[in-house]
Amino acid sequence: MSVYQRVVDWIDLRLGVRDILEQNLTHYLLPRNINVWYTLGAVLLTLFGIQFITGILLLVYYVPDTGQAFDSVQQIMNEIPFGWLIRYLHVVGSNLIVIALLLHMLSVLFMAAYKTPRELTWVSGFLLLNLTLGLCLTGYLLPWSQLSFWATTVATDAAGAVPVIGDDIVRFLRGGAMVNEATLGRFFALHVMGMPLLFGLLVGVHLFCVRRAGISRPPFGDGYVPRGPRYTFEHEHHYGGIPFFPNYAVKDAAVISFFLVLLAAIVFFWPTLFMPPAGFEPADPFTTPEHIKPEWYFLWAYQTLRIFPDKFLGLAVQVAAMTFLALLPFIDRSRERRPARRPLFLICFVAGIGVFVALSIWGHYA
Amino acid sequence: MAKQVIVLILASVLFAPWSALAAESSCVECHRPQPGALGDPVGQWEGSIHQRHGINCSSCHGGDPTIMSMEAMSLEKGFLGVPAEDDIPSFCGSCHAGVMEDYLLSAHGQALGAGGPHCVTCHGNHAVELASLDIINRDLCTRCHEYGQADEMKSAMAKVDDKISSLQEETRRLRKLGFATEKIKNSIFSVRNQFHQLFHTVNVETVRSQTEEFSQELEKIDQQVAAMHQEVKNRKLLGGGVVVVLGAICILLVLLRKTYKDEEERVHPPGPPSMRP
Repeated sequence: MSVYQRVVDWIDLRLGVRDILEQNLTHYLLPRNINVWYTLGAVLLTLFGIQFITGILLLVYYVPDTGQAFDSVQQIMNEIPFGWLIRYLHVVGSNLIVIALLLHMLSVLFMAAYKTPRELTWVSGFLLLNLTLGLCLTGYLLPWSQLSFWATTVATDAAGAVPVIGDDIVRFLRGGAMVNEATLGRFFALHVMGMPLLFGLLVGVHLFCVRRAGISRPPFGDGYVPRGPRYTFEHEHHYGGIPFFPNYAVKDAAVISFFLVLLAAIVFFWPTLFMPPAGFEPADPFTTPEHIKPEWYFLWAYQTLRIFPDKFLGLAVQVAAMTFLALLPFIDRSRERRPARRPLFLICFVAGIGVFVALSIWGHYA
Repeated sequence: MAKQVIVLILASVLFAPWSALAAESSCVECHRPQPGALGDPVGQWEGSIHQRHGINCSSCHGGDPTIMSMEAMSLEKGFLGVPAEDDIPSFCGSCHAGVMEDYLLSAHGQALGAGGPHCVTCHGNHAVELASLDIINRDLCTRCHEYGQADEMKSAMAKVDDKISSLQEETRRLRKLGFATEKIKNSIFSVRNQFHQLFHTVNVETVRSQTEEFSQELEKIDQQVAAMHQEVKNRKLLGGGVVVVLGAICILLVLLRKTYKDEEERVHPPGPPSMRP
């Protein structure tokens, strides 16, 4: 008996790992018509793993002090071996994560996988999306560049539209009247500790919900029929389905590789795709750079604030849209999941994407 | 609009004392509507390099632009008015001290007051632009003397001037890629400043020997820039390898998945999925 075999046997005797692996890998059956969109969860886990590792490596040299932050990032980029690679992986990776998250959310919406009994999966996923955007926002300030400073000034200023307590919220977010040392301190704490802790917890809840309820069957094909109402908990089994490992795990790995190709291509050949020149100039509170714009995924919100005559109205519309999305499983109660039989939903789905893209393009060129 | 409002609010809160100084001055307010030589300078100054860098009327002519009356031009307020021709070098030299020194030592400076050229002869006054070698040209120089020597100096300096411009451009490009170019930028700036001193010596021998020194200095800077360009190439080479390897892995996994799918369809031919027994 080999040493490896003996070690596995020793662990298995105490923890029953073989049983766990069988239940979750080889004996874990997925619907036979499962499609490529179901791989996005694994893609996101991988990309978040890269963010976690590169984030820790950046922390080794980053100094969260307004007088030293920019120089420390410059040091990472120019003096630390492969520091540029680690930073660009972190920057580009965060943008790819938002893309993958949006695709993940859209696929869940299109296939109506948010419906009963998966409301909690949807809500936890929606919270994860918002938390990710929060991580992006707080991380944006840390390099203390012109881009960081002014984008954060504009972003935090939006909270001022809230009636009565708006100014107090802005002061609370910034730790003062304007973006300063205190802002950097609280954003740093949130970015590297507060939000990641909450994020890890929510990922756990999300994965538990996914595993506990079972993978939803794609609502396509002749054999699909909507499930009837349920009054007791029932795990969705897929008898006669394909095993997660190795059959579907291979597909997961293929799509992950595709995203890694995308990540590497941007990092090595177009590293500044998501970083305008103002991102390489130190923050200067006395000089406002021209054409300062939020990141592409906040452009829709930025433009919404601009098109309404009253900022509060713009903010209220954003909050209403986000609340509607968060509570969608509780609003859309029908059991039908097939897109072709949900014309109203399809119109809203396409229109929603259209509005998001149009507002973003408008915001970019405005 | 929202951004502009934010910037306006921030600016009014943060930079109140400065914004007061930068407000529309009495010089511009009173002189703009006036005809001829009294009003023309306003339009000429607007868009000039002085205006772009915040150099206002009072920076050169003195006076107090915050007073909206003739008192703004009183001697008590330091008003200097229009300088006499012989005073022009010291007028401009109050800021461009080094250039004034070089000019006064040159043949041009030595001829000041005896028909020799002064700052305004070559650079103009209110519509002043960033100085370049183009100022040395046949039309301008032949107003006073032959163009031969001037042309020789211009040719000698053009190579260095072009190199400085191209290095500045390269540095800007590298900066946008995240390279720390501050030291290089400062080195170029230092050479550029020393080089610009040559412009006013109007001495062929000095120009010839010093342009050679500057070329050597720039060659050293060029090597540092070339090293950064090499780094960019190396990164792309490494990236190419990584992308190819990851792409190959992706294709292999897709093929492997296809193999599994073929096997799945052999075991369970396509049709309605089996339901719970």
